[in-house]
Amino acid sequence: MTEPKTIDVSHLPPYDISSQAPLWWGQLLLAGIEGMMFCILMAAYFYVRLRMDVWPPPGDQYPHKLLATIGLVPLLLSCVGSYWAGEAAKKDDRGGMIKGLLLNLVLALTFFVIRVLDWYSLNFSYKADAFGTYMWTFLAVHAYDYTADVIFTLVLLFLVLIGRHGPRVRLGVHVDSVVWYFLVLIWIPLYVIVYWGPNILETQ
Amino acid sequence: MIQTQDVLPNVPNQEEDISNLERVWRRGRGLFGWLSVTTHQAIGMRYIVTAFVMLLVGGIEALLMRIQLAKPNNTFLNPDLYNQIFTTHGTTMMFLFAVPMMEGMAIYLVPLMCGTRNVAFPRLNAFGYWMFLGGVLFLYWGVFTGAAPDMGWFAYPPLSGPQFTPGKRTDVWAQMITFTEFSALCVATEIVVTILKMRTPGMTLNRIPLYVWSLLIQSFMVIFAMPAIVVASSYLLSDRTIGTHFVNPAEGGDPLLYQHIFWFFGHPEVYIIFIPALGFVSAIVSANARREVFGYPAMVLSQIANGFIAFGLWVHHMFATGLPQIGEAFFTASSMMIAITSGVQIFCWIATLWTGRPRMTTSLYFVYGFIAIFVLGGMTGVMLASVPLDLQVHDTYFVIAHFHYVLIGGAVFPLFGAFYHWFPKMTGRLMSERLGRWNFWVLFIGFNLTFFPMHILGLKGMPRRVYTYPPEVGWGSISQLATLGAFIIAIGGIMFLANVFMSRKTGSVAGNNPWEADSLEWAASSPPAPYNFEYLPVATTRTPMWVPREERAFVTGLRTDRREVLVTTLMDAEPHHRYVLPGSSIWPFITAITVTIGFIGSVFNPWYIISGSILTFFGLLGWFWPRRSTEIRDEAGVRA
Repeated sequence: MTEPKTIDVSHLPPYDISSQAPLWWGQLLLAGIEGMMFCILMAAYFYVRLRMDVWPPPGDQYPHKLLATIGLVPLLLSCVGSYWAGEAAKKDDRGGMIKGLLLNLVLALTFFVIRVLDWYSLNFSYKADAFGTYMWTFLAVHAYDYTADVIFTLVLLFLVLIGRHGPRVRLGVHVDSVVWYFLVLIWIPLYVIVYWGPNILETQ
Repeated sequence: MIQTQDVLPNVPNQEEDISNLERVWRRGRGLFGWLSVTTHQAIGMRYIVTAFVMLLVGGIEALLMRIQLAKPNNTFLNPDLYNQIFTTHGTTMMFLFAVPMMEGMAIYLVPLMCGTRNVAFPRLNAFGYWMFLGGVLFLYWGVFTGAAPDMGWFAYPPLSGPQFTPGKRTDVWAQMITFTEFSALCVATEIVVTILKMRTPGMTLNRIPLYVWSLLIQSFMVIFAMPAIVVASSYLLSDRTIGTHFVNPAEGGDPLLYQHIFWFFGHPEVYIIFIPALGFVSAIVSANARREVFGYPAMVLSQIANGFIAFGLWVHHMFATGLPQIGEAFFTASSMMIAITSGVQIFCWIATLWTGRPRMTTSLYFVYGFIAIFVLGGMTGVMLASVPLDLQVHDTYFVIAHFHYVLIGGAVFPLFGAFYHWFPKMTGRLMSERLGRWNFWVLFIGFNLTFFPMHILGLKGMPRRVYTYPPEVGWGSISQLATLGAFIIAIGGIMFLANVFMSRKTGSVAGNNPWEADSLEWAASSPPAPYNFEYLPVATTRTPMWVPREERAFVTGLRTDRREVLVTTLMDAEPHHRYVLPGSSIWPFITAITVTIGFIGSVFNPWYIISGSILTFFGLLGWFWPRRSTEIRDEAGVRA
């Protein structure tokens, strides 16, 4: 009787920081879940809009576009930092990871400050009517996810700073960029809907 | 040395490997160890047992309803209690039994069938179970404190809104949904990644077992459908608790929107329950017909098509809401279309059995029962897809009969078949076939006696969700028949439990592959060791267990002194790199507690969302904090 064949895998690397890693796929699916949720929120917004004659309802003003548009600049640029850190993580380049994560965080926080200033200029409450409810939902849900990822990026930066950047943490730094790109990309349709939507959909 | 695999390659240091695996995959001691478990067999079994208890509880609720409806003007249950019971019955069966049961089976079987050691994210898996358990406890806390939901399992506003259902009943329902959706999404994510990235070498896409295919499709459906119910239940909850106007018509919201979002989830949900059941059927049919399932590509493609079409059917639940006719026509067509892809599969199984050498095991009896009942349910489905007929029987017992035929016939019968099929794998002992056949016939007769008369009741005009009816309408004798059937089903359930408990103690010892089946779970011992396989078996064909022993192949060179698994490429399952899975951890449990504080608290005070989030941050910090003991150190000469 011949012996069963064997495939020896001991020469393969013990980890891999790339899109082959299971965690990368997990993050991609997480982004898919959140993306689907945002799609449903947007569909719901248009559904409600199409059933109303006047949009926005009387008493609600259009949101100002200036601050939100300025905010796009740091937001889009923050992806550069995220990319930098993600690539540095592959090469085990501690300096690159620190610089990339710092750039990402500084720009992300800049966007956040602009956003909070912008919120003060919105003159409709989430409780006032359906328009306010749907608008604030976009803002609040995105801000919640955004804050959560900023906090986790901070934790990653801290871990790299104290020298605990083993393969697991580096994989974390790499896949963190997947979620970050998602949060930036999904903001673009939300920005168009919140700040331009009432104009475009105006019927008067 | 305990050898658990039926064949082992001849490699040096085998004894050392096995003792290492035993040590590394061992569960911790005591309560702390129990709460920290992350192996897929243990978590899968917890899902299965908890969901089965929910099936029994939901069944008892059904019996209470049937007693109340057995005769006209009955006063066994009062109207309020009846409303609570039918809502809790539907909610329990859909959210706490059917979906978690299918997930539990998947968690248990998918890593074994893929030839790997655990799911891709073991801690997420443990977290998902604790979230599910949180949903169970929260709903039944409501039931026992008089806060059981009472507005029907789909909770349509405005009835479920703050104006017509004050109190906490609807809030309990809505937040229970959030718990179970979290759990379902956790499972879907890890199942998809396990299937895509952790299949054993050789298991290319066209060698994946049909059951695993069904789970891949189902998990993607969960990922695209469940966010809708998260949105729907959150809309409802925030309208009730913080005064938003998502579905409040007085301020520009729209109650019909809720129905759209709910059914955009709700219809795929039916297929989320049903598609894994199709996978059970394929596995049982091929093992018992002793040949590969006929038409593998047709089976896979029609299951994928089922998954897509399932997202285009939801409006057939809303034909009575006065939608534009063109929309209704579209959804009629798509609802009829799904009969084609389902029919292809039925024909493939029949062809498999026809050309195979079927062995009449209990599990195959359940498959035959499934085909009979499911085809009948499919027929009434095609009838209901037609708008004029749907308008006539909308919200009558005809609809109740239809969906019990498709859900019990389509999912529960294959599930019982699956229990009989995989019980030996999970416990090491065979169930009694003799009692099993009795079990089948009692369930089959009881089922038809309960639900067939409901078609007639529906055509006679009996609406669903009424707690009683006057004698003049003439529904009494048919209802009594249905009640009799319900008790026969209960006897069938007791017979199944008796079989489980007796067989666990005295059943004949199963061995690794009692059915001489084809897929890789049968290569492991019964029950499997926590690490599943000493050496991962390679899938050399689509039916790797039917390959002669001397032609089988194995993976060697994975380190056994840590929980190392093999990551392979997506399409061709070529070995790509090794990957160390995390071990046992208490943090998923702690994180589940912090999330639970946020969820339950927010029903009473919305600020709990914030405090729950902050607590959860610390939970996740503990979860992900790198520990020196588990860090991966590069071996000499290896740099990633």
